[in-house]
Amino acid sequence: MSVLTDVTRSTIGKKLLNGLTGLLLCGFIVGHLAGNLLLLLGSDAFNTYAYTLHSLLHGAFVPLAEVGLVVLFTAHAISGISVALARRRARPDGYQKSANAGGKSRKSSSSTSMIITGVVLLVFVITHVAQFRGGFFAPREYADVMINGHATHNLYALVVDWFNQAPMVALYVVVMLLLGTHLRHGFWSAFQSLGAANPKYLPIIHGAGVIFAILMTVGFLMIPIYIFLFVDPVAGGTLIGG
Amino acid sequence: MNDVTSQAADATASSVLNSRVPEGPIEDLWDNYQASMKLVAPANRRKHTVIVVGTGLAGGSAAATLGEMGYNVLNFCISDSPRRAHSIAAQGGINAAKNYRNDGDSIYRLFYDTVKGGDFRSREANVYRLAQLSNNIIDQCVSQGVPFAREYGGTLANRSFGGVQVERTFYARGQTGQQLLLGAYSALMRQVDAGTVTMHAHHEMLDLVVVDGQARGIVARDLNTGEIRTFAADAVVLCTGGYSPVFFLSTNAVNCNATASWRCYKRGAHFANPCYTQIHPTCIPQAGDYQSKLTLMSESLRNDGRVWVPRNADETRPPAQIPEEDRLYYLEETYPGFGNLVPRDIASRAAKQVCDRGLGVGTSGFAVYLDFEEAIQRLGRDTVAGRYGNLFDMYHEITAEDPYSSPMRIYPAPHYTMGGLWVDYDLMSTVPGLFVAGEANFSDHGANRLGASALMQGLADGYFVVPATVSNYIADTKPAAVTTAAPEFAAAESGIRDDVKKLLSIKGKRTVRELWWELGRIMWDNVGMARNASGLEAAISEIQGLREEFWKDVNVPGTPDEWNKMLETAARVADFMELGEVMARDALERRESCGGHFRDESQSAEGEAQRNDADFQHVSAWEYKGPDSAPTMHKEPLHFDHVKPGTRSYK
Amino acid sequence: MASNAITVKLLIWRQSGPTAAGQLVPFTLENVLPEMSFLEMLDLLNEKLVREGTDPVAIDSDCREGICGTCGLVINGIAHGPNSGAATCEVRMRSFRDGETIVIEPFRAASFPVIKDLVVDRAAFDRIMAAGGYVSINTGSAPEANAIPVQRASAETAMDAASCIGCAACVAACPNASASLFTSAKISQYALLPQGRTEAGRRVVRMVEAMDAEGFGNCSNHGECEAVCPKEISIFNIGRMRREYLKAVL
Repeated sequence: MSVLTDVTRSTIGKKLLNGLTGLLLCGFIVGHLAGNLLLLLGSDAFNTYAYTLHSLLHGAFVPLAEVGLVVLFTAHAISGISVALARRRARPDGYQKSANAGGKSRKSSSSTSMIITGVVLLVFVITHVAQFRGGFFAPREYADVMINGHATHNLYALVVDWFNQAPMVALYVVVMLLLGTHLRHGFWSAFQSLGAANPKYLPIIHGAGVIFAILMTVGFLMIPIYIFLFVDPVAGGTLIGG
Repeated sequence: MNDVTSQAADATASSVLNSRVPEGPIEDLWDNYQASMKLVAPANRRKHTVIVVGTGLAGGSAAATLGEMGYNVLNFCISDSPRRAHSIAAQGGINAAKNYRNDGDSIYRLFYDTVKGGDFRSREANVYRLAQLSNNIIDQCVSQGVPFAREYGGTLANRSFGGVQVERTFYARGQTGQQLLLGAYSALMRQVDAGTVTMHAHHEMLDLVVVDGQARGIVARDLNTGEIRTFAADAVVLCTGGYSPVFFLSTNAVNCNATASWRCYKRGAHFANPCYTQIHPTCIPQAGDYQSKLTLMSESLRNDGRVWVPRNADETRPPAQIPEEDRLYYLEETYPGFGNLVPRDIASRAAKQVCDRGLGVGTSGFAVYLDFEEAIQRLGRDTVAGRYGNLFDMYHEITAEDPYSSPMRIYPAPHYTMGGLWVDYDLMSTVPGLFVAGEANFSDHGANRLGASALMQGLADGYFVVPATVSNYIADTKPAAVTTAAPEFAAAESGIRDDVKKLLSIKGKRTVRELWWELGRIMWDNVGMARNASGLEAAISEIQGLREEFWKDVNVPGTPDEWNKMLETAARVADFMELGEVMARDALERRESCGGHFRDESQSAEGEAQRNDADFQHVSAWEYKGPDSAPTMHKEPLHFDHVKPGTRSYK
Repeated sequence: MASNAITVKLLIWRQSGPTAAGQLVPFTLENVLPEMSFLEMLDLLNEKLVREGTDPVAIDSDCREGICGTCGLVINGIAHGPNSGAATCEVRMRSFRDGETIVIEPFRAASFPVIKDLVVDRAAFDRIMAAGGYVSINTGSAPEANAIPVQRASAETAMDAASCIGCAACVAACPNASASLFTSAKISQYALLPQGRTEAGRRVVRMVEAMDAEGFGNCSNHGECEAVCPKEISIFNIGRMRREYLKAVL
């Protein structure tokens, strides 16, 4: 255990941790996107997916995954925030004039805004979980739907309700663009943090990072925009307080 | 003038120095001597303090090794880190007699080449030891992780250097000095971590403290805070480099100086052969008076470049438009045998001679062309770029001229000083307990140093010779305990405080740089590549006048208790003004031409250097006799039992 | 004066001592020749200041050919100025326009306290090196040099890393003031050579601990360090340092 604390206390340990959790989170969002794209296929497809997920491992999969995700997000956030905090201590007096060196530098608006995009994403993730997993602030109450003979939450109806509200869609668009920005530097940077980048593969990793960032952003943007434009709220259920 | 010559004549009437070379066959001298040395028991070593001044190849390696042995080492350097010593700028390589190329090399051949290259003005026993130790140096550095160039089979690569007939030079790209220095620095930092070496970076040694005739400490100034402190020890090892910046412009770093050596000279250490200076032929010429240093271009350029000047002094055409018949390839014409590849001293002097005839090129008229047009036609641009691309880039960066399309301009520049404090076989000066290593001593290169030999000497002295001889000295003399409470320390310290106060109080009109620049001009014109009696006498009196002006009219700004670069420099320039005079005296006294020292009066009918072995086969060591008296000269006769002195001819 | 001389407006950071407050002070300098090095331009300024009775600007430099690592200024927001692969001393005034304003600041990091004006104390680097930047071998105990074969490619990559001149531009340029490139260059050099492998684990752990203890920031993989490095040392060395660290602690 002391090895672990020593390692996580070191700058390199934090980078290893940040890179590792970052890559795992990349894996998570791929899965998350793949599942959620079923929203585009309609209520049955999506609710079936949700039901199946919840019944995996006799219902143990989701709680286990959730614990794992909480750990991942927390570790990623703490290790990331510590980099930003160390910066203030390491250079309390900044330059009067600063500029980018260009050339081989990979510094960009994406790399310098990691802490900002990261904190926004962290806040977003918490509210997003509260919104869809917790069902807080739901616009109304929903009647269960029957999937394979089991009554299950009509998550699809909740999502469609939320994404029929213009401010909510606008918020998601902004946050997904920030996610793309975060991933553009974060993807290749995670490989570098893990010591897995080398001169031969770096151009590929770097390019893959850009493509990955675009795919994730476009994929996640498609859902709220598509729903807002083409899907009407699902009938049935009761408006909260109505 | 009469005064000067009579002083010089007086100087010859003095004692003979004993080099204390042990008796025996030269091959076994060092081994037998080491076997006979007295030792200090491991547990007792930490009770002995050794001061090492300097962290270049000699100082860094000596401090590290003494630390490994267990001595309590105090190490000083003027840079902000020991890693920045000027050894770091050496480019080409380091010689060793490994014979990895199977081309007939041997310890004897390296010894022979070095003695001959030094124009028979070095001490055979020291040079033989240097050649022996050269192999141990390579072993040591490889083990430290110095990334020498390698063959595909994983063995060490070699290249040829400086016109020698074997390939014995080990190298790490063009940064061999850097890599060897960082190797020594790493060993040093290991000892800092182990607690055996205490590092005092950014400290300048300003005086030697002598107690009961023995070197027992130093006075140093903290260059960050201005604080002046004394440090006591059982022995002092000086590794503070050469004195080329006496010329103001040289290839040396701008902080290289002679102050530590000079203060030791004033405390009784004799200064040997100060007139032996090496002027390197291939440097980028001075472009203006604003310039602060000259940049060396590797002499390997002469392998393919052709050196020429226009035949007519009133030539105005750009070089490319000057036809062959109007070009004077003076090296090829004068030395058909070696052509552009004559040794450094010859190439430098020839460049000076054509420029003095008014044939020089560039705005100053003090430059010659080094032309690759023929090489590019013969080899193709790509091959030339492959061999010299980085040097061409460097030239382009500094001059904004493209050497591929128009010839480079080059001119000789001061580069290395063979002279230095006199030392015996133990590398101990005439002050017992004061050892001197590396470029700071006079020992191994005679009147001219071969390429890739400076790094070898610095590391041989530091890793192997000094640690052994200092141990022997401590074991043998059992120095009595001395602390900085001894009155000699306080006296030396207050002397330095007075010097600082004096420099800051003059508040005249001349800046330190101006005065240094003027000294450099006097030295370059009269004590440079060619010297003669009248020029040297004029130099002595001009320097005396300049020195007077310095102490009357110098303007040193700032306070003593802070970072004050101008104050540091002023003290160094003050010392250069004294050293310059002794260099001129030594050059005047040596009425022969040898190696880097060329006297117009001593040349053959063809204008070649002529040695005078009958009268000058000796080391000239100068003893300080106080501020108002001329120094006296002592001689160490040189004997050549193994390499018979001959005439160097390159025609 | 030469017809090609230019005039530059300088904004130079002046700070009388480590604890004093500092500020940018304007100077106008005429008769600057394009072929002057940046440091020679500052020499010219200092000569002028001394004649005028003003305290000259403190700068440090030594070899003035890009190998000793002593000089180091942030010029117009870029460590070592506008030329890539060059130290401050290798920058020439032809890189600047007549009338241009040039902002000159010291290398800034909490671990490098300002001594005076543009001079900072980089002793932290020596302390990192003392923690493990060496192969533990005593003088005299080395085996025959060719007894340790080294792959040519490894030797070349090690040499790339070993070229570091310790100037600290990497720290100065890093938005986080991280010393990762410097530390990793030395770790890489030894990690790539058989001589250095024996104590590779101890070295990387100790050097990283020392680097952290000095208070340098962490690395965000911006790569500014590589872009300003006079020896163009690659950030892959930082990756190698992380692999070595992982190997050492697992």
